[in-house]
Amino acid sequence: MTDRTECAELADLLAEVAVGSASGPDRAQVLRHLNDCDECRQELEELSRLADDVLLIAPEHEPPAAFESAVLDRVTASAPRWPTARRWFTRPAVQLAAAAIFAVAGAGVVWQATTDDRELAAGYRETLDVADGQYFAAAPVTDDGGTEVGHVFLYDGDPSWVFAVLGPAATPGDYAVAVRTRDGVSTIATCLVKTAGCGGGATIDARIASILDVRLIGSDGTSFTADLTSRRSAK
Amino acid sequence: MSIHLRRRAVVLGVKVSDEALLAGMAAGDIDAAATFVRRFQARVYGLALAVVGAAPDAEEVAQEAFVRAWRHAGNFDPRRGRVSTWLLTITRNVAIDMLRVRRDLPVDPAAVAEVLVSGVDDIDRRTESDHIAGALRSIPREQAVAVVLAVHFGLTAREISERQEIPLGTAKTRIRTGLARLRSKLEVSRDRSD
Repeated sequence: MTDRTECAELADLLAEVAVGSASGPDRAQVLRHLNDCDECRQELEELSRLADDVLLIAPEHEPPAAFESAVLDRVTASAPRWPTARRWFTRPAVQLAAAAIFAVAGAGVVWQATTDDRELAAGYRETLDVADGQYFAAAPVTDDGGTEVGHVFLYDGDPSWVFAVLGPAATPGDYAVAVRTRDGVSTIATCLVKTAGCGGGATIDARIASILDVRLIGSDGTSFTADLTSRRSAK
Repeated sequence: MSIHLRRRAVVLGVKVSDEALLAGMAAGDIDAAATFVRRFQARVYGLALAVVGAAPDAEEVAQEAFVRAWRHAGNFDPRRGRVSTWLLTITRNVAIDMLRVRRDLPVDPAAVAEVLVSGVDDIDRRTESDHIAGALRSIPREQAVAVVLAVHFGLTAREISERQEIPLGTAKTRIRTGLARLRSKLEVSRDRSD
């Protein structure tokens, strides 16, 4: 049920979300409220359209010569635009392995704090053995301001896989999950945020150690990044 | 087949809709992409230049914006807005990404916002944006500048308060009241034109 008091309290934040300048926690607070408030959702849509229109006031300038050909060169050279979508949920065997590994990943903190827990350590090894795994890793996904908006989980095994999770702070829409190694960038999956986050991933051919970062690129150009050059791993 | 027809329409000089060009791009039609770039390049580059300031960086931003538009063309939802604003939103986001990475860029958002609100380049603007620019100029200037700082430069209310040396609450109020007044002005002008 709609809480009118909360509507009034969030009025300022609605405008900030609409102009795209709200902080992650503020955006999350608004999105949580929108789950139960059609009125505020409609208000946000109208304000967002208005804010987008304000971009039109920038004066036009013709770009340098050969701009068009430079863009088209990049377009034709780019990888297939949408993944050949080896979607996570289409791989039940890997999904089972992932579920087990996620469980161990969650317990990993405890494992580090209680190294005498042989049972848990054995479970970890068994989990890795499910798919000839060497190790798993995790890293936070942050926006450009450094605010954490989700996580990526990675498993180095046969096959290796990457799974990205976005929290409710992410603006609703499609996000391409792009994995970057020294050999280039490959879009492996899409992640659809409706109102409360999303998850998406796929098996990959590359070794996890070769991944530099994982980016989630929204259809509006928004970009979130998990930097893996200094990732936390549990080997 | 439909792509073929679209190509022919372009050759014959018939203006293809923005949405049709995006549909062509989503289907991998490079001719549609070329037409799309020609149609929007001045706007995209103009916005990029306004935000990042330097021509080489603006070109990089503009190129990246078109590449992202190509990649995400299939996701465009006409119910959520126009193609032009969708593309400019992408451009804005790419430009802000660059500003955050390239802190050496000599950009003064407040000065640029003042210029954009003043509309010194009206002569270059398209009719489509005239009513927006006019409405912005008709609301209190500090509110219009706050809205532009947030929309074009992605500044948070806190960042605006620090740059403008005003209390955080004042910055928030300027954004909120500015947007509300802008909406009212546009509704009034729309009613008059009906």
